[in-house]
Amino acid sequence: MTAQRVTITYSAPPAFLATDHWKQVYAALLSQLPLRNLHWKSATRPNIRTIQELDVNLVSAEAKQTEHTSQIPQTVLEKPLLSAYIVVCDDTETYRNTVKKQIKEWHSTVTQRKNMEWLIIHIVRPDAIATSGRMFQMKASVLDKIKADFNVEKRDRCVELVWAYDSDYENPTAWADLIGKLKDGILCAFDAAVAQREEEVKRSEGQRQMPGWNFCTFFILKESLANSYEGMNLYEDALDTYNELEILFFQVLREKNLSWFGTLINPAPKDDSLPLLSHSKKPYRDLILANTISVFDFRTYLLARQCSILGYLGHVVEIARKAVAFLSAFGRRLRDIEEILPTHFIESWTYSSALSVVEQCDAWATGLEMNKATIASFNAVKGELVELARHQLDIIGISVGHLPNRPPFSMAFPSNSRRDGGTPATSSTQRISKSEILMALEDKNAFYKVYIGITNRAIELYATAGRRKFALKMHGDLAALDVHRGRLSEALQTFTSLPAHYAPHGWTSLESYMLFQALGIHTAAEKPRDREWIFILLDFLKAYVQDLGKELLMNTEDHIEYVTSLVQALHEATQEAESDLSHHDHPAISVSVPNGQARTADNRDGALLEVQVTNALPCDVPADEVIINLTGRDGAKLTFLENVKSLKPGKNAITLFCHSATPGIYSLHSSQVRMSRLSLHWLHSSTPPPSSSSASRSKKPPTLVSIPRDIRALDVRLRQPRRMELGTPARIVVAFNTGRNHVTRASVKLSAPSGVEFRHNEATLIDSEAGEDTFVLSDVEADKTVYVSVPHSDASAFHAMRVNITVEYTTLVEPDVNRSLTLVRVVLTSLPLAINVEDFFRGTRLFTRFTLSSTSHQHIRLKSTELRATRDDDGLKIAKAMPRSRTVTTITPEQPGKFLFQLDSARGQDREPLKLHIIYRVLREEVESVIESAVDSSLSESVSLQQYRAELIDTLVQALEKDASWVNRYEATGELIVPGIPVQDGEVGEALAHLIETLANPSSNQEPSGEWREIIIPVDVPQMHIVAAARLRVLSNPFNPDAVESLPPLFAGQPISALLTIKASFHWAPAEDVEKRSYRMRYDIEERTKDWLVSGQKTGEFIAEDDRTFTTSVTLIALHHGHLILPKVSVAALPIPGEGRMKAPLIPSCETYQAHGAEAILVLPRGGRSTFVVNMGGE
Amino acid sequence: MAPQLRLNAVAFVSPQNHPILIRTFEQPRQDELKYHYIAHTSLDVIDERIQAATASKSTDCYLGLLYVEDVAVYGYMTPLKVKIIIALELSDSIVRDADVVAIFKALHTAYRRSVANPFLRLNVPTENVTDHSILVSAGNSRWQAFRKRVDEIGRAVGGFQ
Repeated sequence: MTAQRVTITYSAPPAFLATDHWKQVYAALLSQLPLRNLHWKSATRPNIRTIQELDVNLVSAEAKQTEHTSQIPQTVLEKPLLSAYIVVCDDTETYRNTVKKQIKEWHSTVTQRKNMEWLIIHIVRPDAIATSGRMFQMKASVLDKIKADFNVEKRDRCVELVWAYDSDYENPTAWADLIGKLKDGILCAFDAAVAQREEEVKRSEGQRQMPGWNFCTFFILKESLANSYEGMNLYEDALDTYNELEILFFQVLREKNLSWFGTLINPAPKDDSLPLLSHSKKPYRDLILANTISVFDFRTYLLARQCSILGYLGHVVEIARKAVAFLSAFGRRLRDIEEILPTHFIESWTYSSALSVVEQCDAWATGLEMNKATIASFNAVKGELVELARHQLDIIGISVGHLPNRPPFSMAFPSNSRRDGGTPATSSTQRISKSEILMALEDKNAFYKVYIGITNRAIELYATAGRRKFALKMHGDLAALDVHRGRLSEALQTFTSLPAHYAPHGWTSLESYMLFQALGIHTAAEKPRDREWIFILLDFLKAYVQDLGKELLMNTEDHIEYVTSLVQALHEATQEAESDLSHHDHPAISVSVPNGQARTADNRDGALLEVQVTNALPCDVPADEVIINLTGRDGAKLTFLENVKSLKPGKNAITLFCHSATPGIYSLHSSQVRMSRLSLHWLHSSTPPPSSSSASRSKKPPTLVSIPRDIRALDVRLRQPRRMELGTPARIVVAFNTGRNHVTRASVKLSAPSGVEFRHNEATLIDSEAGEDTFVLSDVEADKTVYVSVPHSDASAFHAMRVNITVEYTTLVEPDVNRSLTLVRVVLTSLPLAINVEDFFRGTRLFTRFTLSSTSHQHIRLKSTELRATRDDDGLKIAKAMPRSRTVTTITPEQPGKFLFQLDSARGQDREPLKLHIIYRVLREEVESVIESAVDSSLSESVSLQQYRAELIDTLVQALEKDASWVNRYEATGELIVPGIPVQDGEVGEALAHLIETLANPSSNQEPSGEWREIIIPVDVPQMHIVAAARLRVLSNPFNPDAVESLPPLFAGQPISALLTIKASFHWAPAEDVEKRSYRMRYDIEERTKDWLVSGQKTGEFIAEDDRTFTTSVTLIALHHGHLILPKVSVAALPIPGEGRMKAPLIPSCETYQAHGAEAILVLPRGGRSTFVVNMGGE
Repeated sequence: MAPQLRLNAVAFVSPQNHPILIRTFEQPRQDELKYHYIAHTSLDVIDERIQAATASKSTDCYLGLLYVEDVAVYGYMTPLKVKIIIALELSDSIVRDADVVAIFKALHTAYRRSVANPFLRLNVPTENVTDHSILVSAGNSRWQAFRKRVDEIGRAVGGFQ
């Protein structure tokens, strides 16, 4: 049905209508149509409606009048809205005489017509105007007269058209007035007509509840309004009207007031295949008028009308959306009466309609300009339509057996409907008419072809619409079809690729469904259970254990059985796998360490750790090995493992063993469960995630595991050697304790991060083979300690040295287990003692004094110091000044010890360095060994206390550490008074009390037990070119110096003769200078002006020769009386000029001592008399 | 004939599109797949609606009828972007949006009350308070209360009459 257009009739004198003039005018008038930009201001509407363009029929009044009119409400446009009369008259006389009458006649007829406007068009020639203008006619023009005659109201209904034969048709100014008048007239008439019609509609609607009111009649009436709007191109208003009608229809439907309708549906032969949106496929209006229309037809008609108006508006998305809703909803309604419909009628109707709507929409959409979003939603909604059509195929397919009655095909059945899948019995004898459907019913392959075609079409539409998830679902459907058709490899491919789309956002239900399908196909296709299968299966189990994963598995009851069989098959497949497989972070199994405290194994080296393996699957999982890896500091790694058979559902407590467990704190790094060749890995440690996406992996604190020390395990300790000799390569002692193990072979490697190198190949001790970077011990019995001394490069720059020890060993009991132990030990490299040497020459003798002091806060116990010559035949006699009073000396930082030695040697020999042997120990070590030996002797009586040995020692040592008051007493007496130990009860308390007493009262005066350390320090024998002994001797007789008489009394002020002798000795001269016979020397007597006046040669030079004495005499005058010390004499060697090659003076070394240094002379007061007058007082 | 809404299924989806809970009411076992599909595919339509809503600066939680596929699928998005999707039995009568919104409001309330459960955060690291895994865990089978609440709403809507 094409919309009724607006009609304008024209009238004119018949004579004029026959002229060419009119024909030209008519053609020009048509060229001005359609009208544009009409603005309708309706009283009942708030807004001005703008009509962009309006087609107008221009017909002669006679032609129009011949049309018959019916009683049925048509559009208000059916009758002309405007009637025009055309006047061609330039002459007022003619007008007055004839034309006016004609117009009047016409006017009287048109003004009687309702809802019609009229217009008089006066056509003039442009030259006529020009002429009249030139002649200055005072008379009114024809137009003025017409206006005066007919413009009865305010409205001006007369218009002039200046018409020239040859003028430009297109010139808008010439037409503006006329066109404006035409628009005004049309709108005015339309407004009046609509207002009247609306009034009628309203009245009729108000009578709805009255008996006799007929929906159909009302519908026709109101629809006429909609048609009118449509004719005026007012599509929104037309659509509103239809929407109102639809709402009213539903209202009426709810009121069950449907007596005006025929049945729900009267299926006509082609109903199922005709295009849905055609409103001309049936005489709908006639059916409505006849009250015989079925609901089906009525709704179809209403939808078609709405959609066609929407089509004019270009709202194709809206059309398609309406169609989907209608087809689904009304299709559902038809299901209720399916038994009276032809077989597959609903499906066929929905199918054809949906596809026809797509076509119709595409037709409407051509030429439409749509933005990107609209195109996307248009495609999306078309996809929905195509999918709807596809669902009909699902239903048909299941009912005729082309498709199995199971998801996803059976999803097309409306919920709560019959599910038997068979063809419903029907009372209808009609058949459906859609050829595609008919063909598909007959021919399976044709059906599949249509099915796949439609599905692909939907996929394509969804894909272009960006509805990825819809497209995925469609792909799943196709794969399901492939399964049904036995095209298993295609299906498998789809079903293995689909899960990846559902997995990322945790749609595990769909993921597991897809994987379930894939597994089923895999089995059905009898494909080998290869790597691919294993990974599909693992993915399936992954999805299965997650929360939603089980929801879509078909048979709830036996999914446990199913999973059990899968796991069993997995186990078999992993056994047959050709290569190792690994899978990370599978959620079905998780490994945790509930208690971070490992235990020591009782009878072998290593540690035991309880782990909890949680199996989220409902069945036993066969497994071979559970492994966890721990990491410690400096990259230390421990591996705990245990062989298992299977993991039962839920929590499994398993104790893992690590044979090489270095004690310490570790963090859980990773865990692993092995099932034949498949290993499942989990990473626990919070290593920095590679990308921010895995930041959701929670930053949990690391799981800490503490490995205790096993005192019975193999152990390696380092310490300084007991005997250290400075100047020889430094060594370190490795104490290798086998503990409980009989070690068949052990290799030990030392390394120091500081760069100190260990010369393993020079390691010395029994049974050790030295390798380049390890040394190997073989066959060491249990509970034995082997000491190995390893030389290393200089480490004196460090106070202490950190050493990494790596031990790899096998034991006799477990020859197959290669244990490895990594230990970090710190060993002191500095000496606890500092040594200073002072030398004093006395002729052929040398006195050497060593000052030993402690470098740390520790007290050091010295047992002996001894200076030894390297060679016995040196002719060197060494004597020691040894205090005999006690055997052990203590030195402290505040109180160094001094040790004096006398050396006497023959002259002129090359002297080997001497060695100072110091035997010492640190007080702490001594006390610890005292305590240990006391504890050991105390415990030897009681076996039950053996286990408390460490505890007892610890208690005592700690008590001593807290309070130093015991030190002095111990050092003096050997009595160890342990301070501040609280009295404890029980066996341990008693033992402790006993120990304290034992320690306080050492049984004898024996030297405390324990080991001593030894330091050997090489000491060079000092050298001196000249040793001079200066002596001032007071002579009793100056003229006979040799007289040996007692000295006469000496008086202050009296000159005293003295003899200065300087005896030189070259005894200690360096060996290379032995041949030098003499040196020039200078002596100088010290001025001591308070005591002595020295007269004579105070300073002088002399030639010194070995063992010769230089003698000179001086006179001394004592300045006062008393015991006076003689002045000192200093003697220095003069440089030997020019001997060196460089002509630098060489100063021989020289030491002088005062032979008279200890002598004092008694000087008496000057003789004479002194008179003292004492006043006795009292006059 | 008053419109009787029949609630077939409810789905809650996290802002990151992780399913929180998918419940069906009195549906045949083999239709579970259908409703899981619906929940999943609806996300595409919801995305379209969100884009349109963003363009028009609309702040309405109710996203309207998403699509029709033998059930009418409606969508709703809470201010914290949790998506609620319901599938109503298709009916040939007009469904008023107000009725649908009422169902959504009830479901939203059920969800809010369940997420307020402090024990949901029991094993969740503390630094990431907006972690969706908390929200997802609300629908976890370990947390029954949420399911119960949703089922009650399903009953109340008239799904079982």
